[in-house]
Amino acid sequence: MIRRPIKSSTAAFLGALSVLLMLGGYTFLAHRQYQRNPDDTTIPRWSQLHKGLQSAIEVNRRSGDRWLVIDAVASGQRLFLGLAGGVAASLLLGLAMGCFAPIEGFLHPPLSLLAKVPPTAALAVFFVLVGTGNNMYVAMIAFGVLPTMTLTVNLAVKEFPDELLYKAYTLGASHMEVVWTIIFRQVLPRFIDAVRLSIGPAMVYLIAAEMVVGDVGFGYRIRLQSKLLNMSVVYPYLAILAAFGFGMDSLLRLLQRKLCPWYEPRR
Amino acid sequence: MNPEGDASPAAGDIALECRGVGHGFGAKTVLFDVNLKLRRGQFLSMVGPSGCGKSTLLRAIVGTHPPRAGELRLFSTETGDQGKVIDGPGRDRGIVYQQYSLFPFLTARQNVAIGPMLDQTSLAFRCLRRLRWRRLRRDQWRAAGDMLEKVKLGDAMDLYPHEMSGGMRQRVALAQAMIMKPEIILLDEPFGALDEATREDLQHMLLNLYEENQKAVRQGLRPPYTLIIVTHELNEAIYVGDRLVGLSQLWDWRKEGHAEAPGATVVYDKPTPVFDSKAARNFERFTAQREEIRRVVFEPDPPCDRHQHVVYWRECRTRPNAPQTDPDPHPLA
Repeated sequence: MIRRPIKSSTAAFLGALSVLLMLGGYTFLAHRQYQRNPDDTTIPRWSQLHKGLQSAIEVNRRSGDRWLVIDAVASGQRLFLGLAGGVAASLLLGLAMGCFAPIEGFLHPPLSLLAKVPPTAALAVFFVLVGTGNNMYVAMIAFGVLPTMTLTVNLAVKEFPDELLYKAYTLGASHMEVVWTIIFRQVLPRFIDAVRLSIGPAMVYLIAAEMVVGDVGFGYRIRLQSKLLNMSVVYPYLAILAAFGFGMDSLLRLLQRKLCPWYEPRR
Repeated sequence: MNPEGDASPAAGDIALECRGVGHGFGAKTVLFDVNLKLRRGQFLSMVGPSGCGKSTLLRAIVGTHPPRAGELRLFSTETGDQGKVIDGPGRDRGIVYQQYSLFPFLTARQNVAIGPMLDQTSLAFRCLRRLRWRRLRRDQWRAAGDMLEKVKLGDAMDLYPHEMSGGMRQRVALAQAMIMKPEIILLDEPFGALDEATREDLQHMLLNLYEENQKAVRQGLRPPYTLIIVTHELNEAIYVGDRLVGLSQLWDWRKEGHAEAPGATVVYDKPTPVFDSKAARNFERFTAQREEIRRVVFEPDPPCDRHQHVVYWRECRTRPNAPQTDPDPHPLA
């Protein structure tokens, strides 16, 4: 039956089954590749992956660093700062645009245009404007997620029913209270959804930029190790990225459930 | 000009006055020369054909859609006999809508308590004076709880709107408006989406409020609730109100020299019988009035003179216990 719900235990079983199938498929491919060519590193076996991960965690003899630690610190810092800036600015701009028509009239055209520009394509612009180093990555992520998130918040605010707006005024609310106490609380779950959706693109922008100009970070390491066909390092890095994205998403969903318990049943 | 002007009650008795109110959207005129004086403690039902501007008039009273012509005056103890011209929404008018009647992110108790919160404290107060705010909030929550008990929702205080039935939501919305003690409460087709049993239940609740008004007057106090209810259901309009106003665009405007229809205006304004909430509902009692309203407001053939059935104040004056001195011109059924 279309859209017929299933039990949560069934959903958990199906989810686990799909992951197990994926891991089983990989194990099969790795084993077959090993039988064809025992020296192959393109589809490493689990033991090779373990060694690759160890080499990333242990202190490197040549550089004296732990790759995974310095890459995680560099990429994490860039990602968090960029996302924080983009998220904060888009919330303020989106609320202002949704509540005040002149601000929307002023900002909507440029934001609609900027939303269509891939930030990685404009990397040179950020390089010129804010220089190299972390600032460039932070600015690229912030400006990359800002237009789409601002327009999402703007739309959510505009969907706020007029009736509730009028009601708030009859209850004695000031303009500021209507924005912060009423509208903000109503759009908060939609905003958290927008942040969840922006994590993926933000990671794409960061990894792509680090692959092109980075000297440390996940993107840099993946590019370097890919060139050397060290897939036993590349795959664990990809798995860590996926786990990080999934963890962030789960945390935000938890936050949404905590802050907006009224929202869940409406999805 | 109000043809009933000379029969108006004392100024202190009036809660709201519409003086020559006109409204429209673009080139289209919706309301034309609406004159109305609403007594304090009165429950006025408003009916009319679709698109005649009932909700537009309510919005003008709320203050979100100011009239194009004329003015609306609200009277309270602060404003005195002159009243104040309504020029925007304010806490002295409460509104209950058919849809979107509650804030979805607040529980029933929070929905009722948010009015006192917004009215008595500022954003800065709530952020900077946390201790005093918490004490005040406790009182506000207690008052909200009492108000919910009054509308028989004492066991639903922590439910969110999506967890409540339509009837429960409208009860909370009414409590939300009542806790503010506004000069006037406006109900815009509040029971339109409810089933018959729930609708009847809520109508009884309104009759209970009306009885509270009567009790207050008997004790020499100010009646606490003044109410305008817009409805498309004639039985409901007669049952819950003590006065019925019909707005209609179908009146004899040619007789007044207009080349084209100038918009809807008041074509019917008469008292309605007052019912006892405990007595059985007997719609037979007002069959004649219902037919009259249908004939004058909804299907006039030929169109009537707009002043012909606007006789509320005249009827009140000619009756014993006229409303100028006694707000209950009709004995309880």
